[in-house]
Amino acid sequence: MDISFRWLSNYVEHDWTPEELAERLTMAGLEVETVAPVGQSLDGVVVGEVTAVRPHPNADRLVLCDVDLGDGGPSQIACGAPNVAEGQKVPVATVGTTLSLPAPDHPDERQDLTVEARELRGEASNGMICAEDELGLSDDHSGIMVLDDDAPVGTPFPEYLDAQGTSGTDAVLDIDLTPNRPDAASHLGVARDVAALADSPLQRPAVETPSEGGDVADQVTVNIEDEAGCPRYVALRVRDVNVTESPLWLRRRLTAIGLQPRNHVVDVTNFVLHECGQPLHAFDLDALADDTIVVRSTDEETTFTTLDDQERELPEDTLLICDAEKPVAVAGVMGGANSEVSGETTDVLIESAYFDPSTIRRTAKALDLQTDSSYRFERGVDRDGQVWAAARAAALIAELGGGTIVPGRVDEHPSPPDKKTVVLRPDRLTQVLGTEVAVDEATRLLSAIGFEVEAGEDALHCTVPPWRPDVSIEEDLIEEVARLHGYDQIPKPQRVPVPSRTPHQPPEETLERQARSLLKGLGYREIYTNSMLRVDRAERFTVPPAGSDRAPVVETKNPISEEMAALRPRLLPGTLEVMQHNRNHGQEALRVFEFGRVFRRATEGDAPIVPGYCEHPALLIALSGPHAPTGWDTDPRNADLFDLKGTVETLLDDLRVPDLALTPRDGDATDGPAPVTQHHIDVATGDTALGTVARVRDDVATDFDLDAPAFVAEFHWAALVDAATTEQHRNYEPVSRFPVVDRDLAVLVHTDQPVGPLQATIRDAGAPLLRRVDVFDVYEGEGIDEDTKSVAFTLRFGTDRTLTDEEVDAQIDTIVDALGQSHNARLRR
Amino acid sequence: MPDDVDERPTIDDLREHMEAESIESEEEAEDFRIRYLGRNQGAIPALFDRIGDLPPEARPEFGRRLNALKERAQERLDAAKARLKREAQSGGPDIDRTLPGRRGFRGSTHPLTQTLDEILRILQGLGFSTYEGPEIETDWHNFTALNFPPDHPARDMQDTFFLKDPPEDEEPRVLRTHTSPGQIRIMEHQEPPIRVAVPGRVYRNEAISYKSFCLFHQVELLYVDEGVTMAQLKQVLYSLARALFGDDVTLRFRPSYFPFTEPSAEVDVWWADEESDDGGQWMEILGCGMVHPNVFESVDVDPERYTGYAVGMGVERMAMLRHGIDDIRIFYENDVRFLDQF
Repeated sequence: MDISFRWLSNYVEHDWTPEELAERLTMAGLEVETVAPVGQSLDGVVVGEVTAVRPHPNADRLVLCDVDLGDGGPSQIACGAPNVAEGQKVPVATVGTTLSLPAPDHPDERQDLTVEARELRGEASNGMICAEDELGLSDDHSGIMVLDDDAPVGTPFPEYLDAQGTSGTDAVLDIDLTPNRPDAASHLGVARDVAALADSPLQRPAVETPSEGGDVADQVTVNIEDEAGCPRYVALRVRDVNVTESPLWLRRRLTAIGLQPRNHVVDVTNFVLHECGQPLHAFDLDALADDTIVVRSTDEETTFTTLDDQERELPEDTLLICDAEKPVAVAGVMGGANSEVSGETTDVLIESAYFDPSTIRRTAKALDLQTDSSYRFERGVDRDGQVWAAARAAALIAELGGGTIVPGRVDEHPSPPDKKTVVLRPDRLTQVLGTEVAVDEATRLLSAIGFEVEAGEDALHCTVPPWRPDVSIEEDLIEEVARLHGYDQIPKPQRVPVPSRTPHQPPEETLERQARSLLKGLGYREIYTNSMLRVDRAERFTVPPAGSDRAPVVETKNPISEEMAALRPRLLPGTLEVMQHNRNHGQEALRVFEFGRVFRRATEGDAPIVPGYCEHPALLIALSGPHAPTGWDTDPRNADLFDLKGTVETLLDDLRVPDLALTPRDGDATDGPAPVTQHHIDVATGDTALGTVARVRDDVATDFDLDAPAFVAEFHWAALVDAATTEQHRNYEPVSRFPVVDRDLAVLVHTDQPVGPLQATIRDAGAPLLRRVDVFDVYEGEGIDEDTKSVAFTLRFGTDRTLTDEEVDAQIDTIVDALGQSHNARLRR
Repeated sequence: MPDDVDERPTIDDLREHMEAESIESEEEAEDFRIRYLGRNQGAIPALFDRIGDLPPEARPEFGRRLNALKERAQERLDAAKARLKREAQSGGPDIDRTLPGRRGFRGSTHPLTQTLDEILRILQGLGFSTYEGPEIETDWHNFTALNFPPDHPARDMQDTFFLKDPPEDEEPRVLRTHTSPGQIRIMEHQEPPIRVAVPGRVYRNEAISYKSFCLFHQVELLYVDEGVTMAQLKQVLYSLARALFGDDVTLRFRPSYFPFTEPSAEVDVWWADEESDDGGQWMEILGCGMVHPNVFESVDVDPERYTGYAVGMGVERMAMLRHGIDDIRIFYENDVRFLDQF
């Protein structure tokens, strides 16, 4: 919201510069984002009188003027404006004056020009007669600026402007108004805070307010059918108006805050809105059937053309202003094209109403139309500001356009609200702020912004002014006192209390930190990807649950774009995009991991925290490209499934996930599109699934520009943490002081025989002496029968005494027998 | 061993053989000595024995050359022995120690993780527990319970994503726009005193640019107890800021508005910039305030007995300040050349 420094300063005395004022306001809760200087110094510009105009002998488009600058003789000045005429009073930039002019080719930019005495086509020109845009007063360049006839010749132009109630320079403060402060959505509103901060009275312009009834009430009928939507409707009438251009001071007020002047009636309503915060609407009364206003809500969709000439579909339940026959305005949002004030208007009806905030907000949302008016109504305007604003506007319209105010006022106000009183206990004030604010000071601050404060026994009884809809409880008053007193006045105590309770860190946080640090050490990079993606991609990367053909993808109702309409069902698609980005930027080794939440729609049997949708934290690790960095004696190969499986085993071991089972999944053909991954290894703890390790299908990898095989491990992190948490505490087990015995064992099996079950059999048969078993060689080829492979194991035996060779031999025999029986394995000799 | 020692080339041959010998161990050194210099079987003494068989005029030249060979053999033996001794002491044969080592790949944690960890570490020291809530929230938890009335302009402060297909007859489901619903979830389940930090990902339906992304991360602080004051809030935030930005940090508390706190404040940190006209600028880092009584009432906490403060800060914002990053989107691009810097 733009606030003009000069305009504001009309209502309150202070001695702050715009920057100082901005600082004060910011520290009192009206955050000033920018302070922009407007206009320029007009020193050197004086009032001149055109005493003669004659054609330029050498230029058709120029005339030569004799201009009296009050300095003795007339100055000859060449001028190209179409409206220059003898007898005019005009602003003249004298020789030596520097002005910032609109650039000829870029009207939005300005460039400096110093006026010099020179010859134009052979004729002397000693100065420049200025247009409003050249003076920085408006963007009007239709002709030179013509001043009032009684302007004294030779007067410095800034003095002339001052007498006109305006000036060449100003500053605009852009305030980022918070939604709780509708009272400050105007110059008077901001001035009220300034008054409190500067301890200086607020000077509201005096306006004669008409009494209720009178002639206008006989002439105009107002009928509120929707009292909830429109608790109050005030109407005044100004007749015999001559709609005209606004005077300079008024146009300057509006342009300073970015509004375009139109005609004096519309300009006055805009001026009053930004002066006091009460939106007004001016109707051309001749366009209203039967001089009647009806306020009602639509009971069906209605088409209506607003005064910006847009045809709009108004939904059911839109609050309308109608005449006897038809809608003439969308209440609180925008007037209609059918009744707006034009150059021909002579009879003006001023509407000044209080509309229900929620009603106006719903309409503005539905129409996607926020106006200066709806902005204020939906936040809540002064509950009792309607009459003053209407009277102020009527007076200005009549004054500037020569009309007559019809005596009296229409004031439909079926149920005026009671005054609100809120109690402020000084003790509570101290208790919340942690510092004492003197009762006198609190009283002064609250009074300065309009509260009527009455001291009771233990508390201040504060009557809330009607422009503060946000104040309804004691804390609201505490905030008012605190912000005006100054947050920087609240001291920082030397000590702060902490509850006598050890902070609790959830196990997932500890384990997550541990996993991150391990994966970093193993050469993986942590990534953060977007949780939102295309719906079709989300569906491609997820599998419909049994009995459904629809993937349970969660979609947003109002996505930013189709690219982000779904929530990720798993981390893989986002990861592949990251790998793609890096591959396309020359990176070969792609090793990443991510922690993040994944989402799906809930199905029967789920018990999510928020009914309807399931989410859980997930961990992904992915790998593609060389298995090791290039070195002078290493020859990197492409990483494969076992590189990733090794990482996973190391990680799960480090996290102490118990009863770990890594089981190859049998590939089942599906009817739908092939899954995006293959060669799955399911990871489980006991019977609880934790995740999978798999290879990304080559065609999918290729879609993401990956030219080396890609592998991915994905885990249900919450399940993994649940399983691992109980294992985190360890009781000491004495370390055996007896030697261990290592033996190697090589067996021949059919080439199709997986190694995992051999290892499992060895473990079973080796109990209880076998401590561990590792695979150290798998070999096929020369020296071995066809269809046969050799698998070699290292076995370590040990127990709480020294083992004899015989014992170990016997255990090995048992193992070999078991391998023979279960897997048809023969000892390799 | 050459049979014919009468010919002149014999010395040359012997020299050639001798020079070609490698001496890589004490054993080889002894072999070398015996073979060439040994009194009984050494090739060079053997040739000296034959010197008398030569014609007299050839003897001086032969003797001179043979002596030279002997000296050379002794020299090689001495050098090898010295080298072997040196190697034995220094741990092996000389190697080119300028060759690069065999490295693994470099890994990294994300800068957002690092900043968040730092914040949580500091907060833990200040006695805050940690709690994480869901990213999909009910409208009630995200807004209504936090004193955002329906149809109130305060809801415009946070552009919200709504979810399709919410359960029938239930309030809308949203992607949480802040971590503040964590306050509600904790107070629903725990009696004061409560002193907790809630980190997590939040979502805003805003145009994506260098300064805003459709999601980011926040840390929420909540402290509820008897006698909690705004003065304490200021002190705790100073402690946090000093730990994050250094002991000489300057903060500014500005009155602001959040529906769920009253009084509310935004906190700016002074960021020195020598190139700026003003010597720096205020950068907003967080929002905070005293918990609004309506929030307490929505979770059945007695606002007369308890007061509390709440803080919400952006992790991206903090990380951008700490590292001088000027585009929030770079966190989500995950370019290795970016990640490698942390």
